[in-house]
Amino acid sequence: MNVLKRTALALALPFVLFAGWWVLSADSENFYSPPLSAILTAFGDTWTLDRIRADVLPSLLRLFAGFLLAAVLGVAAGVAIGLNRRLRAVAEPVLEFFRAVPPPVLVPVIMLFAGIGDAMKVIVIVFGCVWPILLNTVEGVRAVDGVVLETARSYGVTGPARITHVILPSASPQIAAGLRQALSIAIILMVISEMFAASNGLGFTIVQFQRGFEIPEMWSGIILLGMLGFGLSLLFRLAERRALRWYEGLRAAQRSG
Amino acid sequence: MLEVKGLKKVYRSGEREVEALRDLTFTVARGDLVCLVGPSGCGKTTLLRCISGLLDPTAGDVRVNGKAVDGPPPGMAVVFQEYGRSLFPWMSVRGNVELPLKQKGVPKQRRHELVEQSLDAVGLSGSGSAFPWQLSGGMQQRVAIARAVAYEPQTLLMDEPFAAVDAQTRADLEDLVRQLWKRLGVTILFVTHDIDESVYLGQRVVMLSSSPTVVQDELTIDLPAERDQLTTRADPRFIELRTRVYEQIQAAKKNVA
Ligand SMILES: Nc1ncnc2c1ncn2[C@@H]1O[C@H](COP(=O)(O)OP(=O)(O)OP(=O)(O)O)[C@@H](O)[C@H]1O
Ligand SMILES: [Mg+2]
Repeated sequence: MNVLKRTALALALPFVLFAGWWVLSADSENFYSPPLSAILTAFGDTWTLDRIRADVLPSLLRLFAGFLLAAVLGVAAGVAIGLNRRLRAVAEPVLEFFRAVPPPVLVPVIMLFAGIGDAMKVIVIVFGCVWPILLNTVEGVRAVDGVVLETARSYGVTGPARITHVILPSASPQIAAGLRQALSIAIILMVISEMFAASNGLGFTIVQFQRGFEIPEMWSGIILLGMLGFGLSLLFRLAERRALRWYEGLRAAQRSG
Repeated sequence: MLEVKGLKKVYRSGEREVEALRDLTFTVARGDLVCLVGPSGCGKTTLLRCISGLLDPTAGDVRVNGKAVDGPPPGMAVVFQEYGRSLFPWMSVRGNVELPLKQKGVPKQRRHELVEQSLDAVGLSGSGSAFPWQLSGGMQQRVAIARAVAYEPQTLLMDEPFAAVDAQTRADLEDLVRQLWKRLGVTILFVTHDIDESVYLGQRVVMLSSSPTVVQDELTIDLPAERDQLTTRADPRFIELRTRVYEQIQAAKKNVA
């Protein structure tokens, strides 16, 4: 299938849904669900460059900071735990516990320690999305093929080179899966942390609109949020496809072989 | 120089014990090419893993160039039986061959020379930038051999390296091994379960019994150093020798029964 056809297929359903929304809401009298046309007009008026700089950009920066920090921490700790059986025995129950705690409940707690500034929001994001990265990394590291490890050992590929040339690449498909889960969690936490206590950001703005009964503006913020999430996961998938081309090829070869 | 003395290996997993090797003693002189034959499951791979320092023996010891083995000895290369799994799928063929050299600290210029030479020697000079999973089984096996050759080892261990290739490629690879052995002056221990192959390739053949495994017999192959697939294999002396090996292996089987 060529790219054009695929894009057309991918866009067909969203288009139908939007068209349906447009038609069904066209003469809506309900104050809380205004016509889509009104929402789109509000979208243009609301999300000006200034607004984006003042509210969207800070949100994105906090998102990236939290996500990257979680990635570094999660992968580093995951490799250490995955390689060390004793560490794993000690850490695994604790990890499962922390993973089971829904991250939003931590927002008030972290606020106590870290205040209500950017640091709090970044910590909330890190704390929420580090677990899937960490647990997937542990699993990926543990699943490295025994023959691969023996080959590396017998050819003197040890120490840091073993981590960078053998362990990490071999675990990278699982690590990527963890990062993908973490990204959607990070977006949710970005919004939630801004709803609790903030002076700017997307979550904050949407709540402000809702409190001020600016309903079309509120809806436009939700649409923007959806688009951002979609765009980010698309970018992630592109990067993943590039980095893991070997893995796709390997799997295809194994299927046909 | 490779000395194996009183080697015994018992695998323990919980209650179950498998005695893979009972008592093995033999030596391979420096620069010799020795073939090791034995029925499937008699512990050939176990023996190689003990010699290459990847596995601790239960009793007895292994010395390489006079030094007791307790970890992969420097200057030793291994071609694993599971050649497909021993190549790193995230690296190109060239990357796979080059990584051990990088670890050894070979300068870049020389590294590239060695990589190209060894790929050329196994007839893969055009496939350097391919990934291992893009190659056929026989080609992957040759990459594994090229990696071992590029490493410029003093000792080379090969575990049934030609099991997955067709007869014609196999014949070519046999000649390649003899040619490399003569050119590089390495000590080679070559494991196979193919009796003809062991006689054609080796200067000496060590025969293992089936489990419980001991050295059944050793035989010096007094064929001329220049070997040829057609004339050597038709040589009456070749046929005499292969009959000897065959008889010994049959006798080993009867002893067990
Ligand atoms: N990790 C292990 N744990 C337990 N038993 C093992 C292990 N590896 C091998 N064995 C057992 O040891 C014996 C020898 O195995 P090994 O792989 O060394 O045989 P082999 O001669 O290389 O066989 P083949 O010719 O089929 O490759 C077998 O009975 C096998 O089941
Ligand atoms: Mg074997």
